[in-house]
Order: sequence, then C-alpha cells, then structure tokens
Amino acid sequence: MTLVQLSGAGEPGGGSSGASWSDRSRRRGDILGRVRSTSRQGASRLDIAAVSLLVIVTVVAVLVPWLAPHDPKLPIGTAFQAPGHGGLLGTDEVGRDVLTRLLFGLRASWLAAIVVIAAGLIIGGIVGVVAGATGGIVDSVLMRITDGFLSLPAAILAIALVAALGPSFAHVLEAIVVVWWPYYARLFRTEIRALAARPHLEAARLAGASRWRLATRHLLPGAMSTVLVAASLDVGAVILTLASLSYLGLGAPAPAPELGAMSSQGLTYLLAYWWIPILPALTVFALCVVANLAGDGVRDLFESR
Amino acid sequence: MTTFVLKRLASLVVLLVVLTAVMFLLQRVSKTDPIVAYLGRGATGPAAAQARHHLGFDRPLIVQYVRYVDDVAHGNLQMSLHTHHPVMDDLKTYLPPTLELLFTALGLSLIGALILGTVSAMRLPGAGLLRLVMVAGAAAPTFLLGQLGVVFFYRRLGWLPATGQTSRNGVPTGPTGFLVLDALFSGDWPLVMDAVKHLVMPAACLAIGPAVAIGRVLRSSLMSSMDADYTRTARSKGLRESAVVLRHALRNAASGPAQMTGLQVGFMFAGIVVVEQIFAWPGLGSYTVGAITNSDFPAIVGVSLVAGAVFVILNAAVDIFQAAADPRVALQ
Repeated sequence: MTLVQLSGAGEPGGGSSGASWSDRSRRRGDILGRVRSTSRQGASRLDIAAVSLLVIVTVVAVLVPWLAPHDPKLPIGTAFQAPGHGGLLGTDEVGRDVLTRLLFGLRASWLAAIVVIAAGLIIGGIVGVVAGATGGIVDSVLMRITDGFLSLPAAILAIALVAALGPSFAHVLEAIVVVWWPYYARLFRTEIRALAARPHLEAARLAGASRWRLATRHLLPGAMSTVLVAASLDVGAVILTLASLSYLGLGAPAPAPELGAMSSQGLTYLLAYWWIPILPALTVFALCVVANLAGDGVRDLFESR
Repeated sequence: MTTFVLKRLASLVVLLVVLTAVMFLLQRVSKTDPIVAYLGRGATGPAAAQARHHLGFDRPLIVQYVRYVDDVAHGNLQMSLHTHHPVMDDLKTYLPPTLELLFTALGLSLIGALILGTVSAMRLPGAGLLRLVMVAGAAAPTFLLGQLGVVFFYRRLGWLPATGQTSRNGVPTGPTGFLVLDALFSGDWPLVMDAVKHLVMPAACLAIGPAVAIGRVLRSSLMSSMDADYTRTARSKGLRESAVVLRHALRNAASGPAQMTGLQVGFMFAGIVVVEQIFAWPGLGSYTVGAITNSDFPAIVGVSLVAGAVFVILNAAVDIFQAAADPRVALQ
C-alpha cells in the first residue's frame, strides 16, 4: 500500500520533465497507484493493459517471420477451406494459409504505421522547432506552407500522390508522410512558442546558450511529451489510411500480404467464402482498436503526471 | 465581419491556386506523358512532337502552369486514357450520384454525432454502450463496414439490396441528378422507395466514422458549455432541461463540431471511393477505382481537383458560417 500513498503524495507537485532516477521510480509508483485506485481515476487499469498491448503487438509484428506457420505467398493445400478445416483460419482463393497472410499483413501495417509516424515526427519536428525557435519571417513562411498542406484534403492528396508516383507500398508510406507531417509541425511550433516564454528558457538564454543548444536541449525535450501523446493517438488513423490506400490497389502488387489489398481482392468471394475478404478487414479493425486504446492510455498516463 | 469574410475568401483563392499547382506538379512527376493524355495512347513520332509544340509542352514550366490553370478554369481537364472521353464530361456523369451519397452520409453522420455527443456528454442512459460504439466506430475501416453490411443486411436478412443505385432500368436522369429527388419529382413512389433502399447502406457505412469523430468533438465542447455560466443562468431562470441543452448549451457548442464536419468531408472522399467500389455505386469513386487500375492519371487528377475544390470551398463556407453564428470567431 505504500506505493499508493507515494503516488498520492507525488501527484500535485510532479510534472517537471527532467527524468532523474528517483523521478522515474516515483512515476512508476504513480502508475501502480493508479491501477489500484481505479474507482477514483476511471479506466486506468485499462490504460496500462492497452499500453502493454502496444508492446505485445510490436513484438509479435517483429517476430512474425518466425511465428507464422507457413509461407505467405505459397499455397499449402486446397483453396477455399473454411476456418478450422484447412489451417486455423482457412485458406484463400489460391490455397494459401489465411492466418499466415494475416500475420504478415499485421506486421506490414503495424511497422509501417510506426515508420510513418516517426518520419512525420522528424520532418514536423524540424520544421516546427526551426519555425518556433527562430520566429520572424522564417516562422511565418514555414507556417504558411504548413497551413497550406493542412487545408488541402489529406486523403485526396495521398491518393493522387501515389497514383502519380506509381502504386507501391513505399509510395503509399511516402504519400502518408507527406500529408501527415504538417500536423506535427504545427503542434511542435505551438508547444515551442509556449515554452520559449517560460522563465527557465530566459535563464538559459541569459546564460549565453547558443540557439542550437536552446533548441535541442531546452525547447525540444519540453515539447516532446505533448507531441508524443498526439502521435500515439494517431497510430490508429495511420493504420486505417494505409489500409484504405492499399484497398484501392495503390499498395504492393498482388501476392504481397497486405491487409487492405487482401480484403479488396477477396471481395469477389464475399458471399461464398466470407473469411477471405472479412478476416483481413477485421484484422485492420483489431489493430486499430488496440492502437486507439493504447493511444488513450498513453495520454492518460502522461496527463496523470 | 466583412473583413473576416474578405480575408477568408482571399485565402480560399490562394488555396485553389495551390491546389491546381500541386495537381499540375503531380502531373509532371507522374509517368503519364501529357501528350498521351491529350491524344490518347499510341501517340508517337512527328504527330506527337507537333502536338507537344502546339500544346506548349516545350515551353517553360511556369507558362505551362498558367496554361493549365486557364484550361481548368475553362473546364478542360484533358482526355481520360481509359474511357476516352474528356474528363470533364465523365465528371458530369459521375458527380451527381456521388454527391447524393455524400450529402446523405453527411446528414446521417450529423444525426449520429448529435446523438452520440449529447447522450454521452449528459450521461443519459445508454452512454456506456455508446462509448463502446464510439471506440468501435473510430477503428472500423469503411470496407469492413461495407462488407459486413452486405453479408448481414443483404445475404442474411435480405432487407437491403447490395449493389447499384436502383434495381430498375430506364430511370429518370434529370433535373437534379439525385435519383431519390428525381424520382420524387416524377411522382414515381416505388422508385423513390427503391432508390432510398439502395442508398441507405452505403451512406450509413460512410457516415459511421465521421459521426464518431464529430460526436467526440461535440461531446467535449458540450461538456464545457454545460459547465459555463450562461448555462447555470439559463437553468436558474427555471428553464426546462431540454431548453437549456438545446437552446443554450448546444448552440454555443456548435462551432468545434462544425469545423470537424468540414474536415471530415475530406476523409469521406477516400471513404466514398471504397464504398462505391463495394456497392457498385455508379459515381466518382467507382470512376476513380477504374482510373487507378488503368493508370489513367488525367482522370485521377480531374477527380482530385474537383474533390479538393469542393473540400476547400466547403471549409471556407464553414468558417464564414461559424463567424456569422459566433462573432467571437471573426475577432480571433
């Protein structure tokens, strides 16, 4: 019970982002405390579960080549076997193992979403920090460009972009990054502008810290937590966008195990062999639910600090 | 207010210019030769070179861009490589069914958002269930909803048709281009029912995602306006709770959701492409899917340009409407 008491005592004063060891252990106590006092804080046990799911799904995604029972591109037996008859989840129109293909599709979607978010964070981070830390004309020019991107319809732009570059999985990722980074640039910039007015920044400036040092050591770390929370809430949306573009035939060509493409190629069999199009779609749904719950969990954990 | 409207209109013009510039650049980046786009596949040799010169593709990029904008402004969107019609003519054929679907879905999503938002903000009975609906609705890909809809409502229950706009041939095509309205105008009741039945499922699939997104924004803005002083005042005057919510809280909470609605239309365009493919809806989405499979880039650019313009104009309209409803917006 000491942990609960600790966390109760720690909460109001906490909130600095410098993470020393003692700080970190207190935060840990906070997490456990929140788990035990679910009635007060709402669904915090769920938050922890959701965030750990995030880790589990990532580990599974990485390990898929070793976990999957078969080769995703080769038939293992008769086509159109219902789930439970041939393989755990049946076979598709060519006789490939559906479970294997779903696992590989999950891997592609999940890792791709993380890559897209990371790339968006890096580009948006550079633009946002430069704009926020420099100010003046650089700030207005960069933010006008960002606003321009934000006011055009992202989905339409992404479709046109992939169509122009030629359908491929890499191009889908690039297109999503192109429409995604402006959100982070905006967010970084807002956070940095708010931070720049704080006393500790003024102190650093007076101590003669260079602009680079100010930006990388003082501004960026302070903006990180808000942006990371926003980014974790976006994983689900990126997975959905990816799946939609892949569904429209903009992703990798036919035998590649992509969830969206599998679902759309299986559409012909919807009424006769429902599992071929619906299971990939359900996998996208499940991934997205996990990502959204985990995002909410990350936000709650950050906010509770 | 006037300054705000003028400013917003000016930025709208800038955005439209940017949109055409992006589409123009994409066209140059794409592997589609503009000459092929004008003359059709198989254009080679001196004829192609002559056309290149005649159409100005040997001139500087900026000249080409000005020419492109001029073409677009005059409704010339090149030839489709797939249908062999001018893209503009194709758009005129395929746009009305898509707009019919879009407006219906938008209407449904607003109703859905209103229910989700108010019930969950006021913790009415059923709010817990709606929370689940919201978690599921935010994560469900449009194609999953469409496929499940077909399996349950068409295959299992047989309540709704699964494909097309109507099961009849020789339906009226004017004056609005929206089949339900056209059928109404011609007084053909069975056709109205038929068209509505065909419209319900695709529109509902399209509406669920935006309903959740708008509903969430409405929920949070409604919760803060329910806490506001004017709501307490309204309540202390002895107004009925429904009047407090509908006339005071909801009205002040409308601006965030209105903005979200404008943004959601952009996402709905992507959803429309998916939904139209599943339900064989004869609109722009099916046209786009055909264009993607046939690498018909002029058609894709044409659709993107029109959809993008609709989106940008709609969002400007939302902003102006919002400023009219709430003068504080114009002052920000």
